[in-house]
Amino acid sequence: MFGGILGGGSQKTGPAGPGGMGGGMGQPQMDPNAQLAAAEQEMEMVTDMFARLGDLCYRKCLIQRYSDEELTKAESVCTDRCVSKYFQVNREVSEKLAKLSQTN
Amino acid sequence: MYNNGYGASYHEQRLQQMMEQKQLRDFMRMYSNLVSRCFDDCVSDFNSNTLSDKELTCVNRCTLKNMKLNERIGQRFAEENAKLMEDQAKLGR
Repeated sequence: MFGGILGGGSQKTGPAGPGGMGGGMGQPQMDPNAQLAAAEQEMEMVTDMFARLGDLCYRKCLIQRYSDEELTKAESVCTDRCVSKYFQVNREVSEKLAKLSQTN
Repeated sequence: MYNNGYGASYHEQRLQQMMEQKQLRDFMRMYSNLVSRCFDDCVSDFNSNTLSDKELTCVNRCTLKNMKLNERIGQRFAEENAKLMEDQAKLGR
């Protein structure tokens, strides 16, 4: 599922990690062991984030358990918004952290 | 040829293996979490040592519903991540 993310070619700069999920793999001159370690770390971050999203959105959106085996319309909409807002929080937090580390 | 003497395809293989191992581990973790969750949500009557029909139905729905939830999260996740990468590219990072 996440192969496409690791395949992205954008570079990560600035404060380590929090803002970018897609970078780090487009460096042909990089030592292959370091590249493997970086890919491993990125995959770890992605799967961790996905697990957290799964848990959080389950808690916040699946209120009525379990009237049906399909997601209700309300639960579906809630899930979409849950993921969207999570990413927004991720951006906000990483921007604030970046600002804080600059002023120090 | 890299400094350690191995070619590019070897390293690609290692990367592939690493990803497959992680995906397998991730699947196993998801599976055990799902079992815990459905047990927690569906089972609370210990007057019997076998699952009642009600509990079985609940577990069935729980499994399916959570799988669909994960699927939907995965779709939105991919979209959001693509947006994020696009934004980063625009900023010239």
